[in-house]
Amino acid sequence: MAATQNLSDSDQSSVNDQSASNRSGNRSLRVAEKERRKNEAEDPFVLALKYFSDVEAGTPVLGNDELEKNLVQVEKVAYSQGLPPEAVSIMLEFAMSLRMGTSPCVRVLKCLIPASVVPQEAVVRAVVWLSVGKMPISTQVLFIKWVLTVFDMIDAKDQLRAIYGFIFNFVTDENLCPFICHLLYLLTQKESDGTDCLLFSSQGRQPFLLHLLSLYKVFCPELVTLSIPSRMKSGFRNHISPWQSALIAVQKRNGLQGASSMSLVTNKDKTNPRKRKHCHLEFPALIPALNKEAQSEQSSSRRMVPLVELHSFAQLLENMHRIELPAQMGSLLGSSLALQYLDCVQDESALLRLNFWLGYAFHEEFLFCGDGGPSQTSEEALQFLNKLLSAQHFLQEGFSSSEVFLYKFLNVWDGSLLRPQILGLLSNIPVVPSSQIRRLLFEPLMQLFFTSSLFFKCGLMECLNNMLLKWLTWHSIYALEDDLDISLNSHTSINMTLSGFKDSVMELIHFVGRLASVGLQLEGCHCLLLSFVLDFYETVCDTFLKYGLPLIVMPPAGVFYPALFATDPVSVDRLAYIMHRYKVNLTSAKSQEKVTEQAFHISRQTFREFNHYVVVMVNCLWNSRMFHPGMGVQLGEELLLKSNVPQYGSSFDLVHHPAFMSYAVNFHQKVSHSKPWTWYLEYLFTQGYDGLKHFVQSNISWQLKADDGQVDAQQR
Amino acid sequence: VRTPIDSIVAQRRSKNKSYRQSYRSCLGAASRLGHTPGWTARRLNTSRRTKSHNITEKVNPEDLALLVKTEWQLSYVTPLYQFRHTQLRSYSRQLSAFITAEKQQGLAVEVEGAQTSFRVSFSVVQGLGETDDDAETVLVQIHSKPVFAGKDEAQKLVWSGWLTCINGNPEYLHSLPKDFTCLPLFGSHGAENLTSLVKSWFQQTFDCCFGPLEINQTCLQWLAALWTNCHIESSIQHLKMIWTLPVEPPLQITYTVNPQNAWELWNSVRTPSLESREEEETARSIDIEEVTRFMQGLMSHFYRHFRLDLSAGRLSQVSSALGSAKFSGRVKMSNSRYILTTLSLLTECALLKMPI
Repeated sequence: MAATQNLSDSDQSSVNDQSASNRSGNRSLRVAEKERRKNEAEDPFVLALKYFSDVEAGTPVLGNDELEKNLVQVEKVAYSQGLPPEAVSIMLEFAMSLRMGTSPCVRVLKCLIPASVVPQEAVVRAVVWLSVGKMPISTQVLFIKWVLTVFDMIDAKDQLRAIYGFIFNFVTDENLCPFICHLLYLLTQKESDGTDCLLFSSQGRQPFLLHLLSLYKVFCPELVTLSIPSRMKSGFRNHISPWQSALIAVQKRNGLQGASSMSLVTNKDKTNPRKRKHCHLEFPALIPALNKEAQSEQSSSRRMVPLVELHSFAQLLENMHRIELPAQMGSLLGSSLALQYLDCVQDESALLRLNFWLGYAFHEEFLFCGDGGPSQTSEEALQFLNKLLSAQHFLQEGFSSSEVFLYKFLNVWDGSLLRPQILGLLSNIPVVPSSQIRRLLFEPLMQLFFTSSLFFKCGLMECLNNMLLKWLTWHSIYALEDDLDISLNSHTSINMTLSGFKDSVMELIHFVGRLASVGLQLEGCHCLLLSFVLDFYETVCDTFLKYGLPLIVMPPAGVFYPALFATDPVSVDRLAYIMHRYKVNLTSAKSQEKVTEQAFHISRQTFREFNHYVVVMVNCLWNSRMFHPGMGVQLGEELLLKSNVPQYGSSFDLVHHPAFMSYAVNFHQKVSHSKPWTWYLEYLFTQGYDGLKHFVQSNISWQLKADDGQVDAQQR
Repeated sequence: VRTPIDSIVAQRRSKNKSYRQSYRSCLGAASRLGHTPGWTARRLNTSRRTKSHNITEKVNPEDLALLVKTEWQLSYVTPLYQFRHTQLRSYSRQLSAFITAEKQQGLAVEVEGAQTSFRVSFSVVQGLGETDDDAETVLVQIHSKPVFAGKDEAQKLVWSGWLTCINGNPEYLHSLPKDFTCLPLFGSHGAENLTSLVKSWFQQTFDCCFGPLEINQTCLQWLAALWTNCHIESSIQHLKMIWTLPVEPPLQITYTVNPQNAWELWNSVRTPSLESREEEETARSIDIEEVTRFMQGLMSHFYRHFRLDLSAGRLSQVSSALGSAKFSGRVKMSNSRYILTTLSLLTECALLKMPI
């Protein structure tokens, strides 16, 4: 009832808001318009356009800073959002009139990226300029190519068709001919002037001419006497268009549906010779190996099946023994079926090829990128990395080239670019020897950690936890495998001994401990960060039992106390669970130490630390002996008295602990009975605090006294 | 719970060697690719010898003539898989078929003679390599007939390029498996679309990758010093450097030095050899410190005159009568005598770019 009331209230107010805004609407519109005009007058882009429409012929180019400045301005707008129609007209007119010679002309043509449409008049005028004939032939070609690229964006074609014959005259030019033919092909309609086509017969049978002729023949067969081959595929070849990628990018950004307007240019071929700026982020196509002469030496006897011919997992299984690797190993990453096969590839060269390609893509995209930087292509980069991550996830391991790349990249990373993906890759890196781990990982990560936001800190904690999990999982798998046939690996060069592995893991755990301690302090023990830290220690406390690694490392005080005194009950509960698991692990390690001969040694120090923490926890949560001497937290007696807190010793027991206070109050309201302590505990456990439950059950001998649950910590 | 046995628990079996190397990083496995443990950044050599090469004795002058006096656009190439110097004839055929096919894409008109419109030839430039580890240089040339050319008109050279490796880092070369041929430096000259076609053919055939190779500041300084060092043998005529200063709008400074002055400055910054016995040896090796001192000398001279500190900018081009090099990766070698020194330096730059 109350809820509906509230809702209607808020509706009311929003209606009021609207009417208010309507009232002021007219005025603000006028102001905005004025503002807009003012801005426009000062907008450097508008000024630049003005410059280009007004600049006088013969103005020198060399050393002309004004030209440079304005041109850069136009280019910036062109590449980011495309040029509006009037800007296209102005720039095209400027370029084609050669008012400042040919050198700015080419540059302008290259940046003519229309945002929406191209005015037909501008194109017609430019074609007229073309016949003035001062323009170098390569520039003319460039212009026609531009027209072909933006053909579908020209707002009308009637005037262009009107000068069909005029355009036709350019056919006689050897260099322009292929492009002009293409343009004519696009412009030709039934009534177009095709009477000149007999001219062609003398010029040989160039494909582009034939193509145009075939069209003429369709429209007026009586005029075309040439026999046209019947087998002719449709479509002129795609001219190498310098605008294509920029155009697609602009259209994407402007939210246009690129596909419809780009029909002319998007039927792209894989080996498009156009210099695509970021083509290294595309997975290569899965094509069969071309270079068969060299390989046939090995596989002459068997018929090999190219991977690309397989379409199902069943087929893959059937042909497993005679699969031919593709021309480019990188292509395996692009197909899920191929990934299945990649898992079985044992050819070291093949894997090296894959790594070369991947490393190359990484380096070019993120490290060598000179112009524009990766931010421009973050969409592409994002997809690339996501695909790669899912491949790594599928294979359950990282690629060594991504590892090499990361070591370099961490030093230049700002911590925010593609953060989830980079951290994802990072969590996949294999064990780093302890001698190098500091320089390669810790130093760059430490810098990033302390200079970044809370969310980065949380992300990094999660990443390091995943990294540790993977290392431990590898250990548990390979430790088992190697047990079975330890002799097999004598000739491999890898020798990371168990102690080497332990060192690395220990370094990692200590490192995270340091990060967490300082991080929690910096962020005021933020409970989100604390939660990620506790995630990490949930992994750490179980290294022995879950992963068979004889190593137990306790959390530092900087993690333990913030968790113990956390204001949310979940953190305290998780700490209790972690301490419980430590105990189980330590107990089991100790009992094994007694049984087996080659016992490993867990240092006394670890036991001591553990015992100390348990005593602190029990005294604090249970025995109400919070500030007793010998505890981790000590305060002067006078200071405590001064604070005027009654019974300060019990201020962090399960009743008074800030995290559980609300439960205590709640409990008190419901129950007023004797033996409240036991009941209270039961009550807490029913609220889902299993960690506490385990902790209490395993560490506290649970004997009841009549008045209160005064119990002692069980000492090891 | 089983306790893992100590020692080599963590080894990985050879049967699944890996792109992913569980339990080892590329650091641990310093063996395989490993002269680059992690990212211990490879750097340019800090010292190089400049023996005057009697290259004409080693290499066919006709081949040499093809390499000099052309401005090449450089790229780096990752190692080629299954490349055989014995298969060049077949590669020629394949590449010309590839180019023809690509050029005709979307046409499929059977035009007689179109197949022969591009003629590709692969050849080996014998003897250019400095050590046994260097793979022989490969030269690729594309000839074509202009579209409207008459029947008897000869085919013209429209594109040429080469792949080379001079004094490649032996550790790196040795770390590659047999199947790979390392020719990290690629130079091309000709229409850009042909360059792209050739590159994509190489990519598909040898599973390699091409990336742009800039000639960085240090490398340009090296070239300036190396060329100046040759002045006594063959005149450099001038030493021209172009600096780009990061001001708005960008300022370009062309700084041309009289050859004699450059030579004297160079002489003054060379570390005098202490032992005359080793004079021969030391006279022929140049240290990076000397190069730095040389550049500093040039810059402070400029500062004295124009109050402009060039070190705030970027050296973007160096040229002399012996050649020219631009930051963008264009290089021209005008004198065949010094070609090897230049190419070793550039090979080094290309190897630095290798992803693994």
